[in-house]
Amino acid sequence: MESKARQEKNTEIGHRTPLYDAPLKASGVIRYVDDMKLPRMLYAKMVWSTVPHAIIKSIDTEEAEKMPGVRAVCTWKNCRQVSYNSCGEDIDKFLTERIFDQRVRFVGDRMAAVAADTLEIAEKAAKLIKVEYQELPFYLDAELAMKDDAFPIHAGGNVAETVCMNAGDVEKGWTEADHVLEYTYKLPAVHHGAMEPHTAIADYDASGKLTVYSPSQDIFGCRANLSRIFSLPMSKVRVVNPCIGGGFGGKIDAILEPIVAQLAMMTLRPVKMTLNRREEIISTRTRHAMTINLKTAFMNDGRIVAEQMTMIANAGAYSAGTSSVVWASGGKFFKKHKTPHLRFTGYPVFTNTPVAGAMRGFGSPQRCFAQERQMNRIAKKLNMSVLDLQLMNLVDIGDCDARNQVAHGRAFPKEAVLRGKVLFDWEENLREMKRSQEDNSRFRIGIGMAVGVHGNGVYGVMPDTSGIILKLNEDGSLTVFTGYSDMGNGTVTTQLQIISAVSGIPLNRIACVTADTETTMWDLGNYSSRGTFVGGNAALKAAEHLSDELKREAAEILNINADEIVLENGAAVWKDSRERFTTLADIALHAKSVNQRDICVSDTFASQNLALSYGAHFCKVSVDTETGIVKPLLFVAVHDLGKVINPMQTEGQIEGAIQMGLGYALSEALQINEEGKITNAILKKYKMFHAAEMPEIRIAYVENSEVGGPFGAKSIGECSAVPVAAAVANAVCNALDASIDRLPLTPDLVLEAIKFRGLSG
Amino acid sequence: MSENIEVNFRLNGENVTIRTKANRRLLDVLRDDFHLTGTKEGCSIGECGACTVIVDRKAVTSCLMLIGSCEGRDVITIEGVSSPDRLNPVQRAILEHQAIQCGFCTPGFVMSATALLMENPNPTYEEIKVALSGNLCRCTGYKQIIDAIYDAAQQANRADPAEWDRNIIPDSGGRPLPWQPLNKPEVCELSGGNENEEQS
Repeated sequence: MESKARQEKNTEIGHRTPLYDAPLKASGVIRYVDDMKLPRMLYAKMVWSTVPHAIIKSIDTEEAEKMPGVRAVCTWKNCRQVSYNSCGEDIDKFLTERIFDQRVRFVGDRMAAVAADTLEIAEKAAKLIKVEYQELPFYLDAELAMKDDAFPIHAGGNVAETVCMNAGDVEKGWTEADHVLEYTYKLPAVHHGAMEPHTAIADYDASGKLTVYSPSQDIFGCRANLSRIFSLPMSKVRVVNPCIGGGFGGKIDAILEPIVAQLAMMTLRPVKMTLNRREEIISTRTRHAMTINLKTAFMNDGRIVAEQMTMIANAGAYSAGTSSVVWASGGKFFKKHKTPHLRFTGYPVFTNTPVAGAMRGFGSPQRCFAQERQMNRIAKKLNMSVLDLQLMNLVDIGDCDARNQVAHGRAFPKEAVLRGKVLFDWEENLREMKRSQEDNSRFRIGIGMAVGVHGNGVYGVMPDTSGIILKLNEDGSLTVFTGYSDMGNGTVTTQLQIISAVSGIPLNRIACVTADTETTMWDLGNYSSRGTFVGGNAALKAAEHLSDELKREAAEILNINADEIVLENGAAVWKDSRERFTTLADIALHAKSVNQRDICVSDTFASQNLALSYGAHFCKVSVDTETGIVKPLLFVAVHDLGKVINPMQTEGQIEGAIQMGLGYALSEALQINEEGKITNAILKKYKMFHAAEMPEIRIAYVENSEVGGPFGAKSIGECSAVPVAAAVANAVCNALDASIDRLPLTPDLVLEAIKFRGLSG
Repeated sequence: MSENIEVNFRLNGENVTIRTKANRRLLDVLRDDFHLTGTKEGCSIGECGACTVIVDRKAVTSCLMLIGSCEGRDVITIEGVSSPDRLNPVQRAILEHQAIQCGFCTPGFVMSATALLMENPNPTYEEIKVALSGNLCRCTGYKQIIDAIYDAAQQANRADPAEWDRNIIPDSGGRPLPWQPLNKPEVCELSGGNENEEQS
């Protein structure tokens, strides 16, 4: 109740506040890691494996080491040999990676690194390293790698684990149902495409302390890995994220950090390594390529009674976050529809391809693609509107996960569908689609939709906590210490808005220190759509604590009760008369001079709610039946997100997700040739969407407060990326009255579908 | 190994001379020699536009330009259109429209937009889209960026057109902006809160 009252009077919540660091970014003065130079800093260059799977028989670094200016050459022979999992979330399982290993497992695997006085010298020296491989059998396709007799890429075999989740009895569903459909969907690996490539600087000082500057989404996970690899206490490892130029999940893992740390310890000088785009594409992380088999049983009226999904996830050469991705994706299989009988089986499979890891949606865009293509098919088979089919099957508020009866929270996917229908002008566009089919025109109009679901943090899987410190300065201004770093998604700005709203301190009086393992409290990391829900709540909790402290001091100054005080505009005001007030500067002074104390609060918030965000996406495309080129014309996204804390940031998140999703749907895929090499590792060939290709975008929100969300808010970042590609694919398939069950929908694939039109489901 | 040459050019309004290898990229010279790190490297093949600078009033990707070819040219970087205490109209519009997320591509977009507005102070929405198509942004859906540039142009055109160019180029001699300069502390109150109601 108190929160609600605050919400009405404060100016920050729901306000179009720019990012707190936007002026620095707009003027180009903000410092990313690659903009930093430390005294005596060395530049490092990696040597990459050129074969997909081999044991390094010999590696000759002599010539490289002799080169003037080269300070260290590091290979498996002289680096720490500790196995680890680069992903903080999975840090205790599947320890498949080492700084450098005697075995290389994909083209682009790390083999050696050179640190030299200049980048030019390092590059030249790297070319002098000679290696002799003993090649091993390799697998680029997960289905081949998972065969019983396949050569193991890691001890324990190529199927890392089998993930099983069940609800009800699917067998019963198959017999009860009027219809059963079964199809297989194939999704490619894609590149995150953050504009800033991976980069890191390590500095190992005389006191034995390791400092790493990295645009990491998970500084504490990175610190934990460095601490384990180098046997250093965490107090001797500091990971700082000065600024991050885009993450999307690709910067969660510790990839370069252990390497530069090793080189810094060998040379006792700071070492920087920055990847170029080609290295970034071949060697960092990708979204999982997947093959998904989906079997759905449904009644004549459209009610889905049973569904079974078998997911084969290509983990690439190392485990990274794959296990969590498959578990998380499987879990959301139980969160969208009312279906009583569900079975999910997932196989994370090692192959000799680039490492897959977290990427915006964390396994959900793939699962959603399969489910929503299937929905489109079911609607067609039953000759009913896909919207009616969605409304019949989507969950309602009060519905529960069929596995464990845990409620989905305040879920409003149906409202999103209904609002989207109007905003998209579904009926009119449907008529236009039919007209273009009847006219047999060259440019076919198609419309399609999809519904996505995503979580709000990792509550239920592991403790999901964020810590915040608020320090009142002597003049009444505030310094915030938060473990979050702002990838641009506005998490920190959201936290500051909440702190400002609750404590009444204007934003221009608040500064912040972000993402530094030494000065900020522990935080799980910038992932899993937890920024608003968990980070926002942490800000709310700490700000309420601070407010209590401020009121306590103010009560003494004003000689009234603390509960009669309202905090606004940097002052504590008596609720009965605005004339009676004291400023925060006076409060700080009073605390110091009278009570001889600082006002500084620290709080940890632990998420206790499983909330789910839903989104309904609608897409209209024009398909050129002669060239196969698909042009998106209109995209509508309606999101059930509780409460919009910053409309401008929310729009930015959704529009950005649409841009990424359109690329996933139409143009992006890592092409790997038969030798395991990526053939499109430059941006000329790996096509991301640019401004002129974007369709008109319309956005709307379903704002019904979520229980446990800060001011009722829930997540948007990942949820908005989940249904995009499925909506586009459905639009293309509907335009052509054809079925395409793989991505991306390249002109070739579209032309092929046109050729085979009518022959498949 | 390429020979050292002497190159004289104009950089952000100042005449500069540098002795360096002719085959170095302008991008590296800007970042490493002049410490102008606002210009970013995103792809090194001229596809992403993060390294965009203005050379002789045209937007150029500095990763594809060699320093040897800069002799006598007029080069402007993001630092050249920024001042330490206030944002220029394009930057201010970018901030107000949240045409910025991670910020890595932003200097490139500012430079492409500035070059466009120098040549065409009154571009259409479509012209802006085309002018920005050499710049990739992975965070936004471009809409907020295009809106921002359109807005900046509209606002500038409402003011005295003669003022426009001077406000973007740094050597404006301290002439006032056509509208109130951004006061950083008021950052949170730039847009009216009324717009929020429309969203709900």
